[in-house]
Amino acid sequence: MTENGSPEEGLSRRGFLTWAIAGLGAFIAAALGATGTGYFISPAFGKREEDWVDLGLAKGFKQNEPLKVDFVERKRDAWATVERRSSAWVVTPNGREFVAFNPRCTHLGCPYRWSSEKKEFLCPCHTAVFDIDGRVVSGPPPRPLDRFPTKVVGGRLLIQPAASKEAA
Amino acid sequence: MTPRACWDWACERTGLDRVWDALMARHIPEARGPVAWFYALGSATLFVFTLQAVTGALLAMNYVPSPDHAYDSVRFIGSQVLFGRFIRGLHHWGASAMVILVALHMLRVYFMAAYKYPREATWIVGVTLFTLVMGFSFTGYLLPWDQKAYWATMVGTSIAGQTPVIGPYMSKVLLGGAEMGAATMTRFYALHVLVLPMVTAAALGAHLFLVVWHGISEPPRRKEQGS
Amino acid sequence: MTDWHAAYRERYKKLKEAGKPFFPYAVLKDTLVAALILCVLSYLAWHFGAGLEELADPTDTTYNPRPEWYFLFLFQALKFFPGTLEAVAATLLPGLGMLILILLPFIDRGPARHPLDRPFWTILGVATLAGIGWLTWAGYRSPLTNPVVEKDPVTLQGQRLYRDLNCSYCHILGGKGGQLGPNLDKVLGNHDDAWLTKHFRDPQALSPGTGMPKLDLLDDEIHALVAYLDSLGSGPYSAEAPKLFAENCAACHTIHGKGGDTGPDLSLIGSARDKAFMRNYIADPSKMNQASSMPGFSGQLTDHQIEDLARYLSSLR
Repeated sequence: MTENGSPEEGLSRRGFLTWAIAGLGAFIAAALGATGTGYFISPAFGKREEDWVDLGLAKGFKQNEPLKVDFVERKRDAWATVERRSSAWVVTPNGREFVAFNPRCTHLGCPYRWSSEKKEFLCPCHTAVFDIDGRVVSGPPPRPLDRFPTKVVGGRLLIQPAASKEAA
Repeated sequence: MTPRACWDWACERTGLDRVWDALMARHIPEARGPVAWFYALGSATLFVFTLQAVTGALLAMNYVPSPDHAYDSVRFIGSQVLFGRFIRGLHHWGASAMVILVALHMLRVYFMAAYKYPREATWIVGVTLFTLVMGFSFTGYLLPWDQKAYWATMVGTSIAGQTPVIGPYMSKVLLGGAEMGAATMTRFYALHVLVLPMVTAAALGAHLFLVVWHGISEPPRRKEQGS
Repeated sequence: MTDWHAAYRERYKKLKEAGKPFFPYAVLKDTLVAALILCVLSYLAWHFGAGLEELADPTDTTYNPRPEWYFLFLFQALKFFPGTLEAVAATLLPGLGMLILILLPFIDRGPARHPLDRPFWTILGVATLAGIGWLTWAGYRSPLTNPVVEKDPVTLQGQRLYRDLNCSYCHILGGKGGQLGPNLDKVLGNHDDAWLTKHFRDPQALSPGTGMPKLDLLDDEIHALVAYLDSLGSGPYSAEAPKLFAENCAACHTIHGKGGDTGPDLSLIGSARDKAFMRNYIADPSKMNQASSMPGFSGQLTDHQIEDLARYLSSLR
């Protein structure tokens, strides 16, 4: 069954061929495996795109008077562009610094409203109450109101609704 | 445990050694010289088929079969996904390689008359596999939804539509309606990634079983000697 | 006829026993070939990619469809069948081919296996191969059915930019898009190139308070976008254009019932061809369509007049 020659010679030849097959197989698997795995796991290393939404002139917001601003969030979702209607509560203590709250209560996600008489945010679902800085005054919420990053560029207020941050 | 012990453990529980004996330790008639390389064409086709399955599954992760999104998702693969351009390139060129290898494999069998007794069934299943490869190529061509894809499929389906009597029905069945559009894409996609792969896997299994069962044909010799 | 079957089995059994095991001898060859194929495919994939043409455009009347190379011979073969026969041949030819392939083991049944012992089948095979090769080559060389319309690369770049910048999010163009900004189908042509260039550089400069964002485009990108929009919109044509048509074209062409019938009726030409096509066609028809008997006007009319005519014609839709 072996090549002409002694059985040992045949055996070593066989061993060499087996190693050659294993080597070539490893090469194929590595080439395909590296690129294929890279393709598969690449989303893990993708950076989140920074989408800033323009909420209008910063001068338009009155001091210490929260205002609910509706906006259309436009997001690049892989190959598609999706639009999402969303809103934020904007508060400014001095007209220069701005805070934008995620309009969902941190308890169960209900939309809350501002009561200008009590100067508090009131959630209708489980009677949660937050103060003007988003701190929990009473009720079940586990943490203060979530905030969107804000910045003022060229006199216009921009927020980043995709990156809702839990307030410290 | 040593590798030997692992192997023994697995053999005792799965009969792996008998599978190995049947598939790998089986003897094949000796082929001398360059002719021996012709016998690698079948396995080469199998290799490229596997390659197409792997790259195809990866591509499907970022592809939408709809006229609204197909083109953008293919562009996304090519520009945004790590190795996306390479994987799509492999799938694209692999499709051509598939056709070439199947054709060469068939020519090998044809000129060596390997389709003769007792391997007639192997040949018939093989011809079926050839038509399946053509089906893959026809349905896959449309999916990027670019100009080339659209118009080539338009020509292909209108040719089918010119068949006497059944033509108009055939073209509507192919297109999933009276015109080429969203229903055509989902139809071609389902055929390309579900129906054809399943049928091909079954036919491939039968083909390989028959090859092993009959043994690979010997290189033909001049005239009948002996017997 | 079947007495050789048993003999074959016997002989094959001996050959098999005398042969070598599948592993590792044949497997090594298989693995080598697989590795080689992967190298070739990787090179092609890495170097050439897969290519992607423009988005499918069902309204494009100038595209030259071409089948994938391995179907080319079939399309070329169909050209030998005139008229209705072509349709019959289109299904009959491949059908017959497949039938012969499937039935092959039942037609060629003798014990002979060597190609030289089966001259008929060997010659048939070689002849078929040569025929397919020749048809493929002829198909590859055959002239395109549609005249090749050279799309201006700058215009194409502009079209791509329009897509990439997602302009259709706010603007309607070709009936598709959002309604936040002006409908380009309606306003295109209201402004000249200089206005558009300034507008793309800084939208606020020309229309204060506009919702259009400043896109920070490079100069050549702006140029491409302007060229693209130019190629679409008919643009305003002067009062002179219909007169130019009456003097130079109406002898052969009809618009809304007036004119000659030597050339095609142009009453709706704007919906079939874009302005760039018409400008090039008026200047030199032979470049776009060798069969055309229309004279070129590049010497008789100034570029400005040709542009004017092209704008006028593309407004006819």
